[in-house]
Amino acid sequence: MLDIANLHAAYGHIKVLNGVTFQVPNGSIATILGRNGSGRSSTCKAVMGLLPPSRGTVKLGGRELAGMPAHEIAHAGIGYVPEDRQIFRNLTVDENMTIGVKAGVSPRPAWTRDELYDVFPRLRERRNIKAGFLSGGEQQMLTLFRSLLGNPDVMLIDEPTEGLAPKVIDALAETILEMKRRGLAILLLEQKLSMVMRLTDKVFVMGRGEIVFSGSVAEFQANDVVRSTWLEVS
Amino acid sequence: MKSISYILMAAVAALLIVLPYVGDLASQNLAIKVMIAAIFALGFNLLWGQAGLPSFGHAAYYGIGTFATIYAMEAIDKGGFLPTPLLPLVGAAAGFVFGLIAGWFATIRTGVYFAMITVALAELVSAIAVKWEGVFGGESGLRSIRSDWGPFAFQTTTSVYYLTLVWAVLVMLFLYWLQGSPFGLIVRGIRERELRVKFLGYDARKVKTLVFALSAAVSGLAGGLLAISDESANMVLFQGAGSAFVVLNTVIGGANVFFGPVIGAALTTCFGYFGANLSHFWMFYLGVAFVATVLFAPEGIGGAIVERARQVRAGERALLNLSDIANLSALIVAIVGLIILVEVTGTICSESYRAAVASGQGVWPAVKLMGLSFNPLSPLTWIAGIGGLLLGTWVLLKQGLAKWPSFLRRTELAQPVGTGEAK
Repeated sequence: MLDIANLHAAYGHIKVLNGVTFQVPNGSIATILGRNGSGRSSTCKAVMGLLPPSRGTVKLGGRELAGMPAHEIAHAGIGYVPEDRQIFRNLTVDENMTIGVKAGVSPRPAWTRDELYDVFPRLRERRNIKAGFLSGGEQQMLTLFRSLLGNPDVMLIDEPTEGLAPKVIDALAETILEMKRRGLAILLLEQKLSMVMRLTDKVFVMGRGEIVFSGSVAEFQANDVVRSTWLEVS
Repeated sequence: MKSISYILMAAVAALLIVLPYVGDLASQNLAIKVMIAAIFALGFNLLWGQAGLPSFGHAAYYGIGTFATIYAMEAIDKGGFLPTPLLPLVGAAAGFVFGLIAGWFATIRTGVYFAMITVALAELVSAIAVKWEGVFGGESGLRSIRSDWGPFAFQTTTSVYYLTLVWAVLVMLFLYWLQGSPFGLIVRGIRERELRVKFLGYDARKVKTLVFALSAAVSGLAGGLLAISDESANMVLFQGAGSAFVVLNTVIGGANVFFGPVIGAALTTCFGYFGANLSHFWMFYLGVAFVATVLFAPEGIGGAIVERARQVRAGERALLNLSDIANLSALIVAIVGLIILVEVTGTICSESYRAAVASGQGVWPAVKLMGLSFNPLSPLTWIAGIGGLLLGTWVLLKQGLAKWPSFLRRTELAQPVGTGEAK
C-alpha cells in the first residue's frame, strides 16, 4: 500500500504541493484527476524523489521513502511511467526491456518478457528495432513494460492514454487490470475524464496542490460541483 | 554486407598474424604503436562514446599505467613473481584505482564541468610527475627491461608484437561484450537521459564512476603495453598532447562506431610515422583533418563507412558511383592546394630559408615540393594553392559529401545531462 500524508513540495519559492494526503491499497487502481498545473505530475515526482518533498511522508508498505534519492525509491518498489515516454531511443526494444529488469525488489513472482510481449505482440515483432523508431503508442507500452520488469509494488502512470490509438488503449487497459490482479497498487494521473474511469476503483481530484475530492467513481460522477469547479474548463 | 565485414575482419586478422613474417622490424614497431593507440582510444571511447562523458585528461591514466608497469618490470627483474605476459594488468589495475578516484570527483558534475575536472586532475598528475623526480625519474624518465617468462622469451620485437596483439584482441572482446551487457546498456542509457536510469533504480553516479574507472583501466593497460614495448617511461606521457591525441583519434575514427577509435588510431599513428619524415608540418595537417572531421563529418570515418554500408544494403546507392570519383578528385585537389599553401608559407617563414635569401643577395629560391618547384614570388604558386583548396572544398560541399556544419546537431557537450524532465 502506498500511503502519502501531508506531502509538501516546491520548485524554488513556488509551492506546488500543499499537503497532499491519500492512500492506494494493494490490488487497487486510483486515479488523480486535475487540470494542468493542479499538482498531479508534481505529486508523482515528489513520490519518486525527483522533486524532493519539503514536508510529509511517503510510505510504501510502512517503509518511509520521502527524502531518499530516486534510484533507491525505484529499488524500494515504485515504478514510474512519466508522461513524456521515457524510452532510450538508441537502444533496441529488447535492450530497453533488459535495462528494466531488477532482481530482488519484490517477493511477488516477476513479470516475464514473453508474457508482456504476448499482451502487445507488435513489440515482439519489433524487438530488435531501435526504440526511437517506434510509434507513440508502442513507446508508451514499452515504457510501461520496462517498468513492470523491475517488478514494482506500486506503479505510477502519468497520462497513460494521451494520444494513443484505441487498439493500444485496449492493450494498456488489459495490462493495468492484470497488474491489479497481481496485487499492485496503481496510481493513474489524468487530465481528462477518459477511459481510465472504467478501470479505476477510486478517484481523487487535485486543485492548487491539494486533494480536493476523494471518493468512488459513482460518488465522483454524482458530484457536479467538483467537476465544474476543478475539472471542466469554464 | 555482413559477410563482407566478416571477410574484412578475417583479412585484417590474417594480416596481423603473418605480419612478422612478411614485414620488417619497422613495420612491426609501427603495428605495436598502432595497437597501443587503438587500445587507448577504445578505452577513452568507453567513456566518451558509450557513456557520453568527455574526458580531456586521459593521458593521466595512460601514463600511470606506463609507470606502474615499469615498476612491476623492475620488480620482476629483481626476482618478483608476476609473469611478463600479465604485466599490462598492472597498468590496468593502476589505471582502475586512479580512475575510480578521479571518476568519483569528476562525476560530481556533468557536461563541460565534468570535462574541466578531468583536465584539472590530469594537469595535477602532470605537475606532480614533473616535481617528483624520485618516483617519475625527472626528464630522463625511468628504464627497465623485459624479463623472460618460462619458455617465453620477450627480447625480440616480434615477441612484443604478438604479446600486444593478444592483449589488443582481449581488450576488444571485453569491450564488445561490455557494450552489449546489461551494464553497457545502462551506460548507454545514461548517455541518453540520466534521470530515466535513476528512476529505473540505478545509482547513476556509481555507474558513471565505475565506467570512468574501467575506461581508465583500459587506458592504463595501453600504457602498460607501451612500457613493455619501450622498456621506459617518461613524464612527457602526462602532458596534454597525450590527452589531445586520444580525442583526435576517436573523433576522426568515429565515436559511435565500435571500431571507429581503432580506425582513427591506425590512421593518425601511421600518418605521424610517415608524415613526420615528409613534412615539418604534419601535426598541422592532422589538426586540419580533425577540424574538418568535426565540422563536416562529425560521425567520423567509421560513421561514414557504416552509413555507406547501410545505404548500399538498403539499395539506396551503389557501393561506388560516379559522384564518389568526383568527390575523391575534389578531395585530392583540396588537399594538394592546402599542401602547397602550407609548405610554401611554412618554408619561406623558416630561419634556414631567410638565411638562404640573405646569402643569395635577396633572391628567393624556389620551394621544392612533390617533385615540382614553386616560386614563392610567383602569383601562380598562390593561385594554385588557394584555388585548389577553394575549388576542391566547393565541389565537396556542392556534391553534398561534406555538409555545412549544423551546430545544433552536435551540442551534447554543452548540454547538461538530465535536464528537461524536472520542470
